Amino acid sequence: MSVDGAIVIGWGELALATVFVLVTGALSIAMSLKLEKDLIIATVRTYLQLMALGFVLRWVFDNQTWWIVIALMFVMVTAAARVVLKRAPDAPPGVFGSAALSMALTAFTVTFAVTALVVRVPTWFEARYVLPIAGMVIGNSMTGIALAVERVFSDMEGRREEILALTALGATPWEAARASVRTALTAGMMPTINSMAAVGIVFIPGMMTGQILAGADPMEATKYQIVVMLMISAATAIGAIASVMLMYRKRFDAEGVYLEKGLRPEGRKPQ
Amino acid sequence: MSEAPLLAARGLRAVRPGDDGPLAVLDGIDLALHAGDIVELVGPSGAGKTTLLLALARLLPGVTGELELEGVAAREVEPARWRTRVALLPQRSTLVPGTVACNLRLPWELHIRSHDEAPGDGALRDALGDVGLTGVALERDVSRLSVGQASRIALLRVLLSRPAVLLLDEPDASLDDASAGQVARKTAAFAADGGAVLRISHLRADASARARYRLLDGALTEVGS
Repeated sequence: MSVDGAIVIGWGELALATVFVLVTGALSIAMSLKLEKDLIIATVRTYLQLMALGFVLRWVFDNQTWWIVIALMFVMVTAAARVVLKRAPDAPPGVFGSAALSMALTAFTVTFAVTALVVRVPTWFEARYVLPIAGMVIGNSMTGIALAVERVFSDMEGRREEILALTALGATPWEAARASVRTALTAGMMPTINSMAAVGIVFIPGMMTGQILAGADPMEATKYQIVVMLMISAATAIGAIASVMLMYRKRFDAEGVYLEKGLRPEGRKPQ
Repeated sequence: MSEAPLLAARGLRAVRPGDDGPLAVLDGIDLALHAGDIVELVGPSGAGKTTLLLALARLLPGVTGELELEGVAAREVEPARWRTRVALLPQRSTLVPGTVACNLRLPWELHIRSHDEAPGDGALRDALGDVGLTGVALERDVSRLSVGQASRIALLRVLLSRPAVLLLDEPDASLDDASAGQVARKTAAFAADGGAVLRISHLRADASARARYRLLDGALTEVGS
């Protein structure tokens, strides 16, 4: 069936896609990978979460108000902040607020800059544009931010003797941590930069593929994709810088002493 | 000795987690270092010698007791400023990536000394010569230094920044006898210039030391040199 140039997938065809998972499950059994249980759970979650998202988006598009759009963005930001901290087990206690603030700063500035200045939506809270763009901003920058946050704390721990030597010479926490901050920001930005370099040659991005499958003109899809790539790079940079700058200082005490593992009062509870 | 000490510690106490519960690594330490002093600190491994040095340099959280520098209480001195006056040289000398000159001038790259003038190349070469490193070029990358050379450069870096008190954590641990002798002469010259030195010694006794203290069970006792 075709609607506006897009071939619509029916429920039967959707169920048929499960065959791919059965193939993967069979390979897992054949090679004793013991991934069958994880695979089943992941498949069920994919169906349920994305179906739920479809229903929520359809409802929001039909009943959109500014506060529903903003509330949903906050839900996405909170979930992303939790993922960031989960991927950074060495992060000190009390950094959830910093992670959430960085994600919120990134999500709101980049999303509304794109919808207002580039896409030029007629209503600033137009859910059909704001929520998918916010999803891409938050989802993609989350990966870079998580990498940067994980790296800044692991790098500082690896440099603890150098940090002690610098602090003993009178360095401030920023001066002692600066090399780790730079390393972390590079690590956080690198996947985005690599992705920008490879896009269109090595792979066709998901959003562009989706638009083409939905019947859009490839050149129009390309323009959107360029905006998305640049938007993601800005979001990753803003989010990574904000989160690392807000967090690194928490590994030092009030007198500017780096708290290496043996000096920490207690670990952070796993998220 | 009647004049006020450069560095005075009273009732220093540091508790660290031990295998059988909290352990007072420093249990009421009193210590006074005067201008011209070279004091040795000995004791078995794990007795808390490094902990004491860290506490005196205000590099250890949770330490209680009183510290004074030239008669001024620690609480009245900004921590970073304190560390420029009471300088710790950690046991494992750590140089930052870059050249020898870069490392020797590192203290002047920091905000706390941004208004002070860094030593010129001539002064740096003289300092290298004083510790037997005449053959080491200022432009040499520190990755091409031996462990012993690196430890002497780390010592020079601290000495050139002209602190009042020098806290040395086994400065000659990775040195041969000749190099260790050069380090001892350099620290003796620092003390003769009005500084005070507290050094942890394991391998060699410092002949110019005024006193030797043993740290055991959190307490400090003077022993014969």
